[in-house]
Amino acid sequence: MLELRLVQGSLLKKVLEAIRELVTDANFDCSGTGFSLQAMDSSHVALVALLLRAEGFEHYRCDRNLSMGMNLNNMAKMLRCAGNEDIITIKADDGSDTVTFMFESPKQDKISDFEMKLMDIDSEHLGIPDSEYQAIVRMPSAEFMRICKDLSSIGDTVVISVTKEGVKFSTSGEIGSANIVCRQNQTVDKPEEATIIEMQEPVSLTFALRYMNSFTKASSLSDQVTISLSSELPVVVEYKIAEMGYIRFYLAPKIEEDEEMKP
Amino acid sequence: MSHTTVFSHLWNCRSAYHLQNRLDIAVSSSSPPTPTDARAIRSRGARLADGAGCGGDARLLDGPTRLVVVLMNSCIEWAHRYCAGPLRPMCAVSAPRKHKTGRSKGGKRNNSRVLAPLRLRHRPPCAAAAAEEMGIKGLTKLLADNAPKAMKEQKFESYFGRKIAVDASMSIYQFLIVVGRTGMETLTNEAGEVTSHLQGMFNRTIRLLEAGIKPVYVFDGKPPDLKKQELAKRYSKREDATKDLTEAVEEGDKDAIEKFSKRTVKVTRQHNDDCKRLLRLMGVPVVEAPCEAEAECAALCKDDKVYAVASEDMDSLTFGSKRFLRHLMDPSSKKIPVMEFDVAKVLEELELTMDQFIDLCILCGCDYCDSIKGIGGQTALKLIRQHGSIESILENLNKDRYQIPEDWPYQEARRLFKEPDVTLDIPELKWTAPDEEGLISFLVKDNGFNEDRVTKAIEKIKSAKNKSSQGRLESFFKPVATTSAPLKRKETSDKTTKAAANKKTKAGGKKK
Repeated sequence: MLELRLVQGSLLKKVLEAIRELVTDANFDCSGTGFSLQAMDSSHVALVALLLRAEGFEHYRCDRNLSMGMNLNNMAKMLRCAGNEDIITIKADDGSDTVTFMFESPKQDKISDFEMKLMDIDSEHLGIPDSEYQAIVRMPSAEFMRICKDLSSIGDTVVISVTKEGVKFSTSGEIGSANIVCRQNQTVDKPEEATIIEMQEPVSLTFALRYMNSFTKASSLSDQVTISLSSELPVVVEYKIAEMGYIRFYLAPKIEEDEEMKP
Repeated sequence: MSHTTVFSHLWNCRSAYHLQNRLDIAVSSSSPPTPTDARAIRSRGARLADGAGCGGDARLLDGPTRLVVVLMNSCIEWAHRYCAGPLRPMCAVSAPRKHKTGRSKGGKRNNSRVLAPLRLRHRPPCAAAAAEEMGIKGLTKLLADNAPKAMKEQKFESYFGRKIAVDASMSIYQFLIVVGRTGMETLTNEAGEVTSHLQGMFNRTIRLLEAGIKPVYVFDGKPPDLKKQELAKRYSKREDATKDLTEAVEEGDKDAIEKFSKRTVKVTRQHNDDCKRLLRLMGVPVVEAPCEAEAECAALCKDDKVYAVASEDMDSLTFGSKRFLRHLMDPSSKKIPVMEFDVAKVLEELELTMDQFIDLCILCGCDYCDSIKGIGGQTALKLIRQHGSIESILENLNKDRYQIPEDWPYQEARRLFKEPDVTLDIPELKWTAPDEEGLISFLVKDNGFNEDRVTKAIEKIKSAKNKSSQGRLESFFKPVATTSAPLKRKETSDKTTKAAANKKTKAGGKKK
């Protein structure tokens, strides 16, 4: 038996919109601690990890650990039927092969039930170790979205380099090249507009912009984005979800050609 | 019989889906459909399979005369919707391949008259079909029925950055049949020598490189003695086909010309040498196997020198390739997803050891020796599961019912699969920049290729190098076992006492 009641229903809608471009089918895992998802894109280059903690729900009941396979496009279709102010409840019975989304209007005068069929999805769960990153950049999510969008009109890849000067995003393509530098800036009036760089050592990595652009779909969830970089690790692009948890995107970097790759 | 009946068939046999979640249908028609027809069928079939999401496959085999639709898992409902829509209104003719009776649900809808069960093995014997059947007879179908989890459809693009061993002879053979050939006419250079293989090899290799795949081509060496019998058979078939072809040409029967000229195709040493030269010019590594190419491919894969083996020859599994890919070399226009076989999962699902699996393949029928008449894949699997080895089967087999071939070198065949003549002593696999001048001189000057196209293609090879540099997440993070039990799936083991306590309610609510 599973019953999760989320007062701020629009949040779930936003989460879905943020990840459905990257993955089409995914298993949602429910446990006593929260509602989570881990899924890779079909080419195994990017991974999304979502966590909505139990405390963030108004009511959270999950009797045993469950995994529910859903087609995210179909799920988004259903969630789009919910109003932005609606309360969303996710329900599933043991042994059933469906999940129910219940939408209650704020005035409690309209209740809709949407039942969706579950799928069997074979997916590998990757173990992501906690690591110390060489550089962590926090910046306004809208700014990051704008940079990715602008750069992708010039080239396919972005080089992100962090030095003590700031963080530099650069690309080059057939028509030319572009460099955008963001400096540390904590003096703004509003904390959500700050750019903060914590650097242990300088780092520079190359990524495919296509994926970065799809990550920025999550910008509506949070005013700030955190980008964590280490030379030996995939980049982590994290959007915090207030009082609930986070959505994290991992992206494998481009590798130098001479390096011996695994078969 | 019309191809479109396939779709009405899906509609009519819905209950079968409920029972087995999987159905293959093969339809052969006496007359090939018009090109428009074929296109429509292909796109509908693809949509039908696509809609399945979790697996499914629809394709036209042997050109446009046969359509096979394989549907798996959750496509059931989708098939319903599609068949109810634009594809529904044809008459029902064929029957499901396997019809379990008993627990039929919604059986009242399944009121079609069953006229003729159509099976994969009834396919017409032509060259492409022979290619389909290469290696172990009926193994694809046997695995689809008994080890569906060992087969996975993958996107072509998902193999970027992977090193893949390609069985070159098989590819050349396919190119000779498919590329630029209609009836008796083939692509040739000014001297009248066939260039289909070069065209095919050039284009497909570029396609692989553009997708970031690193191919290594493995060429056949000397065939093992046991295979000579099989080769002689193929030779005599080709002789027959050549005779038939001459007749067909005299009679001016276009269909027959098409059919028989396919069968006369043979890969010569010259073809092989041309391709090797081309590949070296392209900067793609070539490996010359001491004996069988599939065996060499498998050895490279087992030794982790390559990620997977691409071939159409099911032998590759018997040789123990960890991952075996089919349809990787198919033209992109066909839009067939790559089918990945995982040999570890094959063994797990069939509940066999590798030695038993090899015996199973010999019983199914391999290139090295005859099989026992009357024992097909299913029976062979049953026997192997029951007795464990060919020796033990022979002891227990009813000799009156089954005739064991008099001279049956199954032990020798087994040895060839287990200890094939391969070499791991090969130079390091390297993908280098293409030799532009060399390519232009070889392709344009010697073989009459269009210079503009070759130049453009060389540009493609160069820019493709960039793509293979994308890293994969798996090289950073390792898979772990999940802890949560799926809500929907059948429980495989009692993970916790809690789960066990829940089992009762689960079983009651189970629909399938």
